Amino acid sequence: MRKAARWRNLVWVLPAVLLLCVFCYLPLVQNLGFSLLKWDIYSGRQAFVGADNYVKMVNDPIFWKSLLNNTLYAGISIIFQVFGALVLAALVEGLPSSRWRGTLRAIYFVPSAISLTVAGLLFYFIYEPRMGILNAALETLGLGNFAQAWLGQENTAIFGIIAMSQWQGFGYCTLLFAVALQRIPSELFEAASIDGVGPVRRFFSVSLPLVREMSSLMMIVTVSGAFQVFNEVMVMTTGGPNNSSQVLGTWLYRSGFVRNDFGYAAAIATAVFVITLVLAVLQLWLARRRRVEW
Amino acid sequence: MRKSTHMMTALLAGTALALTGCTGGSQTAAQLDLQKEPEYSGTVSILTKFGGDPLEPYFEDLAAEYTKLHPEVSFELIQETDQSIKDKTKTLTASQALPDIYFTWAGNWANNFIDGGLAADLTQAIAPGTEWGSTFGESSLKAFEKDGKYFAVPLYNNGKFMGYNQKVFKDLGLNPPSTLEELISSCSVLRGAGYEPIAFGNKDGWPGLHYLQQLFAYEVPAEALEADFHPETAKLDDPGYLRAMQQFTGLINECTGSGKDSNGVLYTSAQQALATGTAGMYYQEVLEFDTTASEGSQLKNDGLGIFKLPASAAAKGDTKAIEGSPEGYLINPKSKNAALAVDFMKFATSKENATKLSAPPYGQPSAVKGVVSEQNSTGPVVEGIKQVNEASEAIIWLDSVTVPDVADAWLAGGEALVAGSQSPQQVLDAVRSASNAAK
Amino acid sequence: MVTRTSVLMVLGRVFVQAFLVALAIVVIYPLLWMLLNGVKSNSELFADPFAFPHAWRWENYVTAWNRGVGDYLTTSVLVTVASTVATVLISAWAAYGLTRVKIPFNRTILILILAGLMLAPTVALIPLVKMFQALGLYNSFWALLILYTAFRVPFTTFLIRAYMLDLPFEVDEAAAVDGASKARAFWQVILPMCRPIIISTILLNVLFTWNEYLFAMIFTSGGALQTLPVGLTNLMAKHGTDYPVVFAGMAIAAMPVIVLFFAGQRYFIRGLADGVGK
Repeated sequence: MRKAARWRNLVWVLPAVLLLCVFCYLPLVQNLGFSLLKWDIYSGRQAFVGADNYVKMVNDPIFWKSLLNNTLYAGISIIFQVFGALVLAALVEGLPSSRWRGTLRAIYFVPSAISLTVAGLLFYFIYEPRMGILNAALETLGLGNFAQAWLGQENTAIFGIIAMSQWQGFGYCTLLFAVALQRIPSELFEAASIDGVGPVRRFFSVSLPLVREMSSLMMIVTVSGAFQVFNEVMVMTTGGPNNSSQVLGTWLYRSGFVRNDFGYAAAIATAVFVITLVLAVLQLWLARRRRVEW
Repeated sequence: MRKSTHMMTALLAGTALALTGCTGGSQTAAQLDLQKEPEYSGTVSILTKFGGDPLEPYFEDLAAEYTKLHPEVSFELIQETDQSIKDKTKTLTASQALPDIYFTWAGNWANNFIDGGLAADLTQAIAPGTEWGSTFGESSLKAFEKDGKYFAVPLYNNGKFMGYNQKVFKDLGLNPPSTLEELISSCSVLRGAGYEPIAFGNKDGWPGLHYLQQLFAYEVPAEALEADFHPETAKLDDPGYLRAMQQFTGLINECTGSGKDSNGVLYTSAQQALATGTAGMYYQEVLEFDTTASEGSQLKNDGLGIFKLPASAAAKGDTKAIEGSPEGYLINPKSKNAALAVDFMKFATSKENATKLSAPPYGQPSAVKGVVSEQNSTGPVVEGIKQVNEASEAIIWLDSVTVPDVADAWLAGGEALVAGSQSPQQVLDAVRSASNAAK
Repeated sequence: MVTRTSVLMVLGRVFVQAFLVALAIVVIYPLLWMLLNGVKSNSELFADPFAFPHAWRWENYVTAWNRGVGDYLTTSVLVTVASTVATVLISAWAAYGLTRVKIPFNRTILILILAGLMLAPTVALIPLVKMFQALGLYNSFWALLILYTAFRVPFTTFLIRAYMLDLPFEVDEAAAVDGASKARAFWQVILPMCRPIIISTILLNVLFTWNEYLFAMIFTSGGALQTLPVGLTNLMAKHGTDYPVVFAGMAIAAMPVIVLFFAGQRYFIRGLADGVGK
């Protein structure tokens, strides 16, 4: 009777478990299966080709280019969205007026509330050579020589996209760091002040160590986000010109839905899975360690 | 760490299960009986390429009128644009969710559906000589013929032309050029007078491909070109490719306003430049004539003139060929409403509806014979179709004539040529290796 | 010496404040530019990107609305409301089950649900397309509802569970003494106590769903089913030469969540902080 009641209690978690098993885990497993197939979408024929798709992937320069772009994305995001945001949060929290603190935090956050589609389209226009404000601003500042088609050139396209993403995402991180800094007991700062420690040293000797774990977590969140980039690249360049701004997500999409090679797309998906899994395990491990320390 | 080990074990076990469970296979569609009177009830789904202004109302009106005739029939329209229809069609195909009637280009694009058993054989109904088939120009039907069978309902014809502002040309004493060299020299005249000679926006890559394909037809002998479209027979070693690519980069650098920056410019903003009279020329499809020179636009007042992109005086290929091909609609053989779908397409290609399609604001030159004429279509459309009919051959778009891997390599290469980041030889090498890999 | 350091300090403070304000302007300017471009005419847009329009063409916003933005907005609202309600309810149930009810395999189930946090949607994309087609749900409202719910349950459960763990267990005992069933205790005691975290998760899910693009692009086609992010790219393709209308459409899409953020800032921050910080 009691045992039956316990089993009946599963009803609480059943919807969540079913949803996840059917729509997250099952497709994940199926994807691994698909990556071993050659799959013709027109006739629906599927043939087992073993590791062929993975061999193709290793020899595909655009796959490596995409991976490099994701890595660039991650690296630049760490600089701006983790370190930049942390410094910014410290500066904002150092302001005497709480009204200003709140206002600035909110303004910085606003771009994070708009969708990447809107942000992407907006920056597409900002970079546009004919009507964009970036080139116009450069002209006004007498830097007209630097004006160019930012998204239209192979060496600048990906950076144009990454820059947009920094604009869109840094406020979110700043907000989080601000919250973390607020949690630091104010006595610590006061003690440091009385000892005659200046604001810069206070940042390095008090703030930084106390938000270190937060920074590590943010770093992993940022990096794993950088490996899932899709929307902004799709909207701004669809991976062009000449595949120079391709990332794993868009190359997966293009391989499957444009080049008809769904088996290969599944292999790229597996690569994305492995990368995000490693990062997630790292995150879990850090989170666990932190709990011990606190 | 123990948690994650558990999960990994579960995942691996699951993978093994999934691997053994792979199945596939296609079914051959049952033969459609096209002579039978359809049952006039149900919902017909249609994927069109008529999304957006000003084309969107065309199919909406057709559907409404058809429903007036047959009140039991309703329609589900999925209207996409030139840009979005490719992805949408692929997604629907991959998920085996193609609608009853769907848009297609000619060439490899259509053949994939035909070979995959996703296009109903319409030979009985639409082959030349049948009642319905004889209403179409034969070449339009032939564009969708495979192994003696006919698969698509050609809706309209198309071709690519250089459109120019007649008033600007007249004011500057310019005439439509007859060689590529003349075209390039007229660019400096236009530029000197403050116009952007040729408006060009290559953000999406395919506008560059259109130039390339026309130039390939001029420079590469026809048999070699045809063989190169199919990876099994492709050699891709004709020197004409390199000449054509050099001509293309020459045009970009000498004639376009944005030059190397063109990859950052939208196709539509280039179209806009001709329409508002800031550009002298813009390379466009017949389908766009009435949209570019729309009622009330500067271009409409100044007059839109057209000429075929001229070949170089020394061209070694077929200089009478023109790029362009009819576009049509396929019927899904697995559809319950296939017979009804065919009946609807007959309705859509009736003389009356074909006339409506060929006139402004749509300006899509119908494939139905005798419909495109001065009485109902604009001058440039009539002229364009006349030239298409006179051409020695219609060369299908590079991105639909060949397999996707090769088309995609050309697309990337075209962008690289525009940006000046790769030489013609490098582009050709990349395309050749894509073609070899696609064998 | 003392005065020199304090002068430096003051200078530094002024510099920092100037920098922060300048940054705020740089951040907000593109958004103002977007709003402004929405009321310009096409030729004004190309003439001088910085200039104010001669006449404020608010009708561009009406045009954008009529050209599909209105429909996209309706779809977005429906999908967002439905999936947010579903996600929060299912997650709250699961969190309650995991923290306050005795269930078999408690730990395994916890891992099963939370491991979903690690999954990138791209990885499951291709099988999902096939699966929804087989289920006959491809290109339907249900596809988006199910996907958004499934992929958001792990994170939402994670947040609510953490909050529930901190609630004192005496509450349940008191409810049990009063003879309340588990279900009644959940609805009448625990759920109301979780109000702050529930509001946070609602806001976070709205932010996610409103802006989601990948699934929306692949699983829906046709105007009636498209959400704002996908609809906007369509607007761009279909009416590409009418840029002010595109800008107006973007502004309409951006507004609701920005307003929501300012209205519920406190809860937003709380949810974000708990999400990453715990």
